[in-house]
Amino acid sequence: MNKPTHKSKPFFLWKHLNKLRWISLSVIFAMLILIPFLHVYQTYVAAHGYDLLAPSEKRVYDVMESLTEPFVADPEKQLDGLKGNTWSGTFGSLQMSDPLAVLGQTAGSLKFYWPFILTALIPFILTALFGRFYCGWICPATFLYELNSNLGMLLRKSGLKIGNKHFDKRLKYIVLAIGLVIAMISGSVVFASMYPPAVVGREIYYAIALGGFGTGAVYFLLTMLFELLVARRGFCRYLCPGGALYSLIGHFRIFRIKRIVEECTDCAKCNVVCEFGLDPLRDKFGQECNNCTACIAVCPTDAMTFYISPKDIGAQGPGHLGPKYRRQHRSEYQNDQHGGDI
Amino acid sequence: MQRRTFIASLAATTVTALAPESALSNNGTKRKTTLRYLRPPGALAEDDFESRCIRCGQCGEACPNHCIKYFGLENGLASLDTPYIIPRDQACILCMKCGDVCPTDAIKKIEYKLEPILKNVKMGKAKVDKNLCLSYQGKTCGVCYRACPLPDVAISVGYLEQPHVTDKCIGCGLCERSCIQLPQAIRILPNYS
Repeated sequence: MNKPTHKSKPFFLWKHLNKLRWISLSVIFAMLILIPFLHVYQTYVAAHGYDLLAPSEKRVYDVMESLTEPFVADPEKQLDGLKGNTWSGTFGSLQMSDPLAVLGQTAGSLKFYWPFILTALIPFILTALFGRFYCGWICPATFLYELNSNLGMLLRKSGLKIGNKHFDKRLKYIVLAIGLVIAMISGSVVFASMYPPAVVGREIYYAIALGGFGTGAVYFLLTMLFELLVARRGFCRYLCPGGALYSLIGHFRIFRIKRIVEECTDCAKCNVVCEFGLDPLRDKFGQECNNCTACIAVCPTDAMTFYISPKDIGAQGPGHLGPKYRRQHRSEYQNDQHGGDI
Repeated sequence: MQRRTFIASLAATTVTALAPESALSNNGTKRKTTLRYLRPPGALAEDDFESRCIRCGQCGEACPNHCIKYFGLENGLASLDTPYIIPRDQACILCMKCGDVCPTDAIKKIEYKLEPILKNVKMGKAKVDKNLCLSYQGKTCGVCYRACPLPDVAISVGYLEQPHVTDKCIGCGLCERSCIQLPQAIRILPNYS
């Protein structure tokens, strides 16, 4: 094989971005669990009653104290800088909110409240650059849904017939529009109660700090069952209003994934691994790609890479190392003196 | 959560999911439930609050007194996951941290000083039930007066420490929380506007 190795080889780190993504998802999920515990710890500190705590509460106090002691001297005040969840959170003096929260709230109250709208500025810019990256890298619901999807794969391998239905991906834009209309009519932020990452963040907080799951947990379990039994990643693909909004914002994103057609063998592993049911094999990424890089990680011939462009590269035909391309170009190979090498 | 409330909220979810859109909005109509709850200090009027609040839960996480709780479906779909305070369970200590952390100003930012708090916080107003209050029954008590964060401003006491609530009461609920009578002889009448 005298394959030219210099041309458009993907940067070796792209291959490992999928691991980094899992770390990012895990860290954010862990933070969602840690922050309520920090809040509980703060209330214990504020009450000045360590001796009155129950043994289990003392354990929480001790663990949180040992965790925070190196960083904060006065937990009652200094830990106030770390609050909230991915729906809307406070990090020091920086407040960040989900663009969907801003859109839904503006629709609900029919007023522009700029201090709040500006909290979505950083997520908005990042989404405009990286597209729907929130769905793959941050969303705490994705963490659970992807584990759920892996469980579904296991069940499918063990022979269970689990539905893998396909619906129209444009359904979620309708959900977004209907949600906005309902918000305008009812004057209440409906997305807050049906947007899985908001529900997950809130329910974790309820469970840890307020003594039990609320109604949102039932709703979230239903979406998990829907994804497991009806359609793989069905909520994210077809129903999620946040995903719809991010897709629209990230329509002209500049960080995109492309297929290097010269290296591709048409093995279709990328299509199988794609959580959002896209078609990387035929270069159909579109606005729905969340740059999760699973296809880069799974590609056996390193034929997937990042590139910077506001538009997709378009259909490139079958991969040059695949059987279809070779059949089409058999005559060329026969004429080519190096044809025998391939 | 108890099993009964769980089943009730499940039933409510299905009913509200099937109800037409008009049932979701509470335009004009006042509270249909009989719940007596307070909103966190500095909260907007009820309808404004429900449309402003994005249900992020940060007010509850900021509350050092653990008094802010969140509605399920018991107060209607519009107040799902919005914060509330039941003063008899745990009353507000007026630390004003919830307003600081609220991203949408559904809970206004109020400085932790006497004047701004007196001016801006209108959670409700305390009311004494003279038939239940020990001091009015001839047994000197005065617990509510001592629990009040604004003594002689919000509550003044007279003969046998009988409490008199003034117009300056902002309704934090610490008197109701501390009342030694069962049921409590002093209650906060919430102000939802």
